[in-house]
Amino acid sequence: MLQGLLIILLSMWMVLDQQGLVLLTWFPIMVALVAGLIMGDMHTAMVIGGTFQLMALGVANIGGSSVPNWGLATVVGIYVACRTTHDIEQAKAVALAVGVPVGMLGIQLDVVAKLLNSWVNHRAEKAAQEHKFEKMFRSFWIGPVIFSLSTGLPTALCVIFGSTIVKVLLKAVPVWVTNGLSIAGNMLPVVGIALLLQVMPVKKYMSMLMIGYVFAAYLNVPMLGVSIIGAAIAYYYFTVEMKKSSTPAAVATATDDEEGDDWDE
Amino acid sequence: MNNEIETNKILTKKDIRKAAFRYMFMACNAFNYENQQGTSAVWGLGRALRKIYPNDDDYLKSLNNQFKYFNTTTWMGNILLGASLAMEEKDGLAALDTVQNFKTGMMGPLAGIGDTLIWVLYPTIIGSISAYMGLQGNPTGAIIWLLLNIFFLFFRFKLFDLGYNSGLKLVTTLGEKINVFTEAASIMGLTVIGALVPSVVKMKVGLVFTTGKVKMPIQTQILDKIMPALLPVALTFVVYKLLVSKKMTVIQMIFAIIALALVCSFFGILTV
Repeated sequence: MLQGLLIILLSMWMVLDQQGLVLLTWFPIMVALVAGLIMGDMHTAMVIGGTFQLMALGVANIGGSSVPNWGLATVVGIYVACRTTHDIEQAKAVALAVGVPVGMLGIQLDVVAKLLNSWVNHRAEKAAQEHKFEKMFRSFWIGPVIFSLSTGLPTALCVIFGSTIVKVLLKAVPVWVTNGLSIAGNMLPVVGIALLLQVMPVKKYMSMLMIGYVFAAYLNVPMLGVSIIGAAIAYYYFTVEMKKSSTPAAVATATDDEEGDDWDE
Repeated sequence: MNNEIETNKILTKKDIRKAAFRYMFMACNAFNYENQQGTSAVWGLGRALRKIYPNDDDYLKSLNNQFKYFNTTTWMGNILLGASLAMEEKDGLAALDTVQNFKTGMMGPLAGIGDTLIWVLYPTIIGSISAYMGLQGNPTGAIIWLLLNIFFLFFRFKLFDLGYNSGLKLVTTLGEKINVFTEAASIMGLTVIGALVPSVVKMKVGLVFTTGKVKMPIQTQILDKIMPALLPVALTFVVYKLLVSKKMTVIQMIFAIIALALVCSFFGILTV
């Protein structure tokens, strides 16, 4: 009961934090950190959070666009999975089956919240024109309330009904379906990766992709090690470029950026 | 010039810090389709502006100016709002046009840089590392991320001060440096992505190839011999191509992959 309540509060804080202070954010692995503490099962939470984190990689809600809320998917996924199963592969399948649709729903809920906030803005502006400045300041608080409800309500529904429904389903669903969902969980990170590649200068720095691949696939260097290699190359580039720009004679170097579109040459 | 600013000080350090905190908290939490972050700009600067304009009518003019459309990366917004606060403190209502032009002129470029650095590259690099650790049940990466965010919160207070203290000058001098920095961060990001594909995307073929008496598990005997993580690399390429060519939307892609996994699981083509 307390766990359920804390999970709902987490889902409400998550969106406010992401859009404001950016301490916890709504990135799945971060949300999973807190959800793991609440549920008392850090291992399961981390595996689920890691899976969703990879799917969320290329997803940035920039310029006011609405994106699937993978943090929301993580919260409900972890809660329902911890409540229904102790097997890690099955937990992943459950989290995916519950989380993906709820995360998708996050898009519509985000749009609704932003629409409702137009009304908040009107209300505040109107109060200001009437010189009721304190009323204007109070009105602003409706904004965060709307946003926190946009994630709190679906989470509450999943907390109340989710685990009962999933328990019944798990008994009825054949093994190949839960296996299939686990396989999907292992494949879905490519969506995040592909989205990322779209917004990065792939063509220009194709060689970096290859370097990273070789170190990880052939030499089994862990991710932190690979990122240090990346940082080393980036640092070199940075110092060389800064030197170039400080000597005005060398400015005329070709810096044509054909940023991130295609792989094929 | 410096002396002039000194004598014009209305706001204390505390006022400025408070304004920064108010904007950072509200940022996109009052986001709407009309003026986007305009509402949050009013919420953030409202109290400080009241101190600058004790007269109700003047105050309202300034508020209405801030209510106008505003949208940028919120971290970068700190610089702009800090600078506009300084301008209004110095010149009062006479600064309103300058403030508006400065904000609208700079929010685009700053959003371009800020969104890339803060919402694409930063979560890519730290997110990949922490997700990779997370898949092994290890929360260290996530904790590091949290600590970094706490550090950046202080940094963002500094950005607001920076905008307040140096305003217009700053943006032009920073411009070029930030571009080089973004490129360097892209290099690091792509290296990490290159490592990510073989590390986290897992596909295992369950079929066994049999000719006569010879049995060859396709995954270990054939695919892995050609190249490690061959299928994940191929899948990444296909998904990337389909998304770039806009043949499929992201949501269609996600459900297509789930469907494909289910079908492959049913026929035993892929195993866990």
